Amino acid sequence: MRSLIEIAAEQNAMQSVLGLTNVFEGLASMRIAQVKDQVLNSQKFFGELWAIYSQIRVNKEFSYGRLESDDVLDKELFIAITAEGGFSGDIDQKLIEWMLQHYDPAKQDLVIVGHHGALQLTQLGVSFKRYFKLPLHDSNINVFPLVAMVKQYRATSVFYQTYVTLMVQDIKKIEMHRAIETASKQAVRDKHIISEETYIFEPSAIDVASHMESTMLEITLTQTILDSKLAQYASRFRSMRAASDKADEMNGHLKLDYSRTKRFVADERLKEVINGLRKAEELTI
Amino acid sequence: MADKEQAKNEDGKQTLKVKVAAPFRTYFDEQAVSISGVNRTGPFDILPGHHNFITLLEASELNIHTPANEEKRIRINGGVMHVKADAVNVFLDV
Repeated sequence: MRSLIEIAAEQNAMQSVLGLTNVFEGLASMRIAQVKDQVLNSQKFFGELWAIYSQIRVNKEFSYGRLESDDVLDKELFIAITAEGGFSGDIDQKLIEWMLQHYDPAKQDLVIVGHHGALQLTQLGVSFKRYFKLPLHDSNINVFPLVAMVKQYRATSVFYQTYVTLMVQDIKKIEMHRAIETASKQAVRDKHIISEETYIFEPSAIDVASHMESTMLEITLTQTILDSKLAQYASRFRSMRAASDKADEMNGHLKLDYSRTKRFVADERLKEVINGLRKAEELTI
Repeated sequence: MADKEQAKNEDGKQTLKVKVAAPFRTYFDEQAVSISGVNRTGPFDILPGHHNFITLLEASELNIHTPANEEKRIRINGGVMHVKADAVNVFLDV
């Protein structure tokens, strides 16, 4: 049987683990609230920008902010957004496997965001065009290098983790032009027409529309990264909640162990005292 | 007409409704007397009664004059400014 000091030391350590997991759980939940708020703000911003863009009559389809003179590769770009590592569970593995089911090197090029995904592709012997680190911060995410790549390709699909609820995360694939179409449907429609007859444009209507397309592309990509981060925070929250529950359960067992050992020690002492008394009585008789 | 009357401050001066926002943050959303920025052509000012206008902003500083005679400066990397009916919306880049 272990000594009382040993059990008390283990109990202390378990209390520290419990405290730490509670802190991490709280941090994850705080981050979730912040990111959710950001996503809502960016959706509103996108809606207002789209409302103006859709009123501009420049006789052109949404073209990712490309100019007519820009060369376009006749290939599709696959972007996979994964975690940087740790606490991500098996969701990245599922995402990579799912993406590879659609992948044909002759038709698509791969870009990977997040160290965990890059590592998995390397282990599988799949080469990718570029790798980006997943941004550490939740704001001021620089998506310009990604946007520059998207503009070079005929079409782009993004594979990413998505937040369903705090306890459920899923993987998703979106085609960029469909994502922008979907987001634009949420924008308030205005029948007013913005043309060079009713507005002064500086420098020109085409330039303004192209710039707006680039901005909306940046917002859409940023939202997929934020959604992935949200899913990762939720996954971390879930891991910490499980660890906290486990630590709490172990702490209960240790408490019970400590009480049993303490009672055993007391009983043993009592037995020793009684035996001592008996011996003393035998000697006096 | 009613809109024009609403867009006047206590001194009876006409004002603009100015909103400067980025996707994740709103920097300014109040009445202003004027707003100045820089586009490809150079610096420009927007005052009440300005014609409908859309411009791409250069990396510069936006200066907003408030009815309280204060000046608010916002450093920007670029963006789009939309002016219509004394309402100015500045969409800053991501």
